[in-house]
Amino acid sequence: MRSGSETFVKAAGLVALAGLVVAFPSLASDPFVLSVGVVIISYAVLATAWNFVGGFTGYISLGHAAYSGLGGYATGLLILRADVNPWVALLLGGLVVAVFAVPVGIAALRVRGASFVIVSIALVLVLLLVFQSWESVTGGSDGLRVPRPFDADVLRPEQHQRFFHLHAVLLAVMLLCWWVIDRSRFGMGLKAIREDEDKARSLGVPTVRYKLAAFVVSAFFTALGGGLYALWFGFLDPIFQFSILVGSNMVLMSLLGGVRSLFGPLVGAVVVGYATEFFKAQYGDTQMHLVAMGVLLAVVVLFLPDGIIPAVRGLFVRLRPGQASIREVTQEELAEEVRR
Amino acid sequence: MSLVFQSLVLGVLMGGLYALLAAGLTLYFGVMRVVMIAHSAFLVLAAYLAWTFTVHTGLDPMLSLLVTVPLFFVLGVAVQRLLVARLRPATLTMMSVLLTFAVALVVEGMLGFVFSGTHRRIPLSYSGARLELFGASVALVKLIAFGLAVVTLVGLHVLLKVTRFGQALRATMQHREAARLLGVDTDRVAGFGFGLGLATAAVGGTALALDSTIYPSLHWHWIGPLMAIIVVGGLGSVAGAAVAALLLGVGQNLLQIPLGTTWAQTFFYAALFLTLILRPQGFFGGRLAQRF
Repeated sequence: MRSGSETFVKAAGLVALAGLVVAFPSLASDPFVLSVGVVIISYAVLATAWNFVGGFTGYISLGHAAYSGLGGYATGLLILRADVNPWVALLLGGLVVAVFAVPVGIAALRVRGASFVIVSIALVLVLLLVFQSWESVTGGSDGLRVPRPFDADVLRPEQHQRFFHLHAVLLAVMLLCWWVIDRSRFGMGLKAIREDEDKARSLGVPTVRYKLAAFVVSAFFTALGGGLYALWFGFLDPIFQFSILVGSNMVLMSLLGGVRSLFGPLVGAVVVGYATEFFKAQYGDTQMHLVAMGVLLAVVVLFLPDGIIPAVRGLFVRLRPGQASIREVTQEELAEEVRR
Repeated sequence: MSLVFQSLVLGVLMGGLYALLAAGLTLYFGVMRVVMIAHSAFLVLAAYLAWTFTVHTGLDPMLSLLVTVPLFFVLGVAVQRLLVARLRPATLTMMSVLLTFAVALVVEGMLGFVFSGTHRRIPLSYSGARLELFGASVALVKLIAFGLAVVTLVGLHVLLKVTRFGQALRATMQHREAARLLGVDTDRVAGFGFGLGLATAAVGGTALALDSTIYPSLHWHWIGPLMAIIVVGGLGSVAGAAVAALLLGVGQNLLQIPLGTTWAQTFFYAALFLTLILRPQGFFGGRLAQRF
């Protein structure tokens, strides 16, 4: 039913977006702007990774900072203590975190809704305690210095450039994975869980396995995002790595953009990331950036629970004649798809 | 041996305080199925109000309760009416977490803005006083905090069991639709339930401020243990939360002897994960928790 012109517009938009991402470092002459760009694309990576669980299954994890923090520390520790090549360490770190996520996922996914959120918060808090206390391995509250993956003659701005593109590659891989899952039987099953878990199970969706798979994939990508950030930033502190604020940022960005859309978390990351940097620059010494973030989150939850992308799309659809529904997939369609 | 006994006594006292702090959470969850992340932020707010009161008037911080308890009751009703009641029923549980999280951020940010991040402590004439209790030496402020907790919890219990409002509240907690059929104005009751929960936070925050240093981000340290208590106790059960609070408080204090304070805190999370693996509905709670 999709018309040819719509496909063309989408393809053109995608090419334009990719071009913008590739060209951004050369457009941003100022190293500071460039570093803000790296921060924002790193947010986008984390939010998109979060959306593998939040968007598909509807399980809201406020504690994904656990996986980004673990990814960062795993990468750093592998380089420092085991002398592994940085890029191998990044990948290994991701795998380690994915393995760690299996038992955690089994325990956490036994409960739904509020209890799940509580568990996700508890995970971050307990990891914060552990990484602060276990000084002999993690450096404790003094933090951990992660060595640079590039030679010393690669200067700061050039580092920013390289890391911006590395993040972009990771983001592209994740978006592709999300897109593939979204169109697969697996993705249909996950979305059925989001709509009504009991009905999905009664229709034969292996809910436990599906949820766990999505959870582990999400943890893996989040860990890669955290590891890449650690390599770029070069320093890890438990307070900032295992912070509920980081996890809630991922939720805010995804919700703001729209958890049901492929590019939702990316759009949310650009908006929230820019706003955060702006507020920190303007009111850095006070705690007003917390207030701003809180108000933004409340507004999104109360008035924009589906996010910007669906809201804008809904506006377009309403302006076009002969369209009624703005919902991308109805429950009946999902049930039908799963039954097949 | 006396060290163990001392820890036991301290654990019971601390457990009583935990029970008070967690009681509000079970009320919110009972009446609205809402997990109120901002509860501990309001505790810190109450602590700051008590500090301000004492610093400016020189009177005992407990007198500030005359102002903060009614104030927090009204705040609670407002939060329920203006914010929580607006959420869609289908996604209420999840979205309420995010919404109350947002409220917590706003409270923390405003506290930091108004009071700055400096650590504060209430100046008390009796802060050094200690009492001998069955051979254990206990700080007077801990006993006062425990006393406040007991008085509040007993009062809450009487209110829930004896008064008409308490009956309506319990009916709403048990079955909202049935309560409405019997003529209970459940929306009003839910608002009052929220107010009651936040009023306990006013008492709890003041009790907390007697004995500890306060700073705006302190509430993060309380969210975890309080959440663990209500999950272990079974979400929505006041009595379950009280039992769990006592057990976890005692356990934490006993573990401090061999492990030290920081590692002993992980006990709460161990209990939380163990509960989820063995009995997701909680050990002492009702049927409420199953679906949430």
